[in-house]
Amino acid sequence: MVSNLVLESLISLSAIAVMVGLAWLIFRTPSPVVTEDLARERLAFDEPDFTPIGWLIDRDGRAVLAEGADGDFALVSRLGLDLVTRRYPPAALKVSEQGGVLSVAPLDPGARRVDLAAGEAAQWARKFSGAVAS
Amino acid sequence: MEFPDIISYAVPAFLVLVIVEIVAVRLMKRGRYDARDSASSLIMGFGSEIAPLFGGAALVAAAFTAAYEFRLTTIPNAWWAVLLCFTLDDLRYYWWHRISHERRWFWASHVVHHSSQHYNLTTALRQTWTGQIIGTILFRTPLIFLGFHPAMVLFVGAINLLYQFWIHTELINRMGPFEWIMNTPSHHRVHHATNPKYLDANYAGTLIIWDRIFGTFVEEDQYEKPRYGIVKNLGTFNPLVISFHEWIGIAKDVFKAKSLKDVLGYTFGPPGWSPDGSRLTSAMIKERWARVHGGDEARSDAVAQQAPQPAE
Repeated sequence: MVSNLVLESLISLSAIAVMVGLAWLIFRTPSPVVTEDLARERLAFDEPDFTPIGWLIDRDGRAVLAEGADGDFALVSRLGLDLVTRRYPPAALKVSEQGGVLSVAPLDPGARRVDLAAGEAAQWARKFSGAVAS
Repeated sequence: MEFPDIISYAVPAFLVLVIVEIVAVRLMKRGRYDARDSASSLIMGFGSEIAPLFGGAALVAAAFTAAYEFRLTTIPNAWWAVLLCFTLDDLRYYWWHRISHERRWFWASHVVHHSSQHYNLTTALRQTWTGQIIGTILFRTPLIFLGFHPAMVLFVGAINLLYQFWIHTELINRMGPFEWIMNTPSHHRVHHATNPKYLDANYAGTLIIWDRIFGTFVEEDQYEKPRYGIVKNLGTFNPLVISFHEWIGIAKDVFKAKSLKDVLGYTFGPPGWSPDGSRLTSAMIKERWARVHGGDEARSDAVAQQAPQPAE
């Protein structure tokens, strides 16, 4: 029974490799560059009541951090061929800056840390200095 | 009457159909594939076949055995009984599915299936690892208690699952009168969409009539392209995060809860529930959209159409 299970698992994993390999061969597309326009449009859909008043744009196009008029922040980052949007109060983010790179680590499960390289990184880090992560 | 394990027989067909879809999507330029997303979906599907060995299968066997032992009557294994069982099981599926979207305890398991921003045949295989240990089997047990043989109940459930494989595609558009009764790719695209007007709709497995009867049917709007995923999309392809993130979220919330009411709300309330209303349930998301756009749902068409899409 165990050997059957191992054999079936190996067959399944081989089939997965074939499907993923074919998808990779046929749809080899670079991830999108996250721009202010792209982030703005995405936010208009995902967070329609979020009014951005400032933008921090990663120079490599990995992500955009937006400051909202209500004090919240919205993070638009890329994942594969898609974008992921999240909106947080400052206290829900753990933010640090080093060498012109702002690291934004959301505290909710399912999100991941995003690094933004930008000239204003240190200035943006100060926006979070009063917030206490909860 | 013998009830074969049709899922095992179908696995080679899954492989062939996925390959056909990948090529067809490319040729027809309709739909999208991302190898990393597909890898996550397929690993989730593989894991969902292994996961029951860690206790879930034993729980199901115990529940089914007990229910059949104390059954009200014995329904024969005849063709008409299979048809009746299939129809009742499809109704069972509708309610299980609806509750899986409306109650966080079940959503924590079902969210896995919705966590891809893509909609293709590999999405159909993105299945939960925790479904069998959280009590969903209770939805099926009444059929056995009524007198249907457990093998028949498992068989019709497998047919239902197989039927739902092919509807996870963007290649097939509308299907005419077939859509009046049957669940179709168009109906199910609506179900996987995060557009406010599409939220909480089309829970059907095989027969769309249940949505029409219970008021949850929403037709796909040709002017509003579905955006797939969940309202808070995941930032990773990691199968472990995909599988357990909502459970971790429940645990964290319960740990911080200030009262028993909050514990129950976080665990069994609608997804997005919070004591102070600071998070958004799907009802609140719909209300927000209507508020921002002056109650004009058609406005979402314009936004969806105008929005630049990431590279395909």
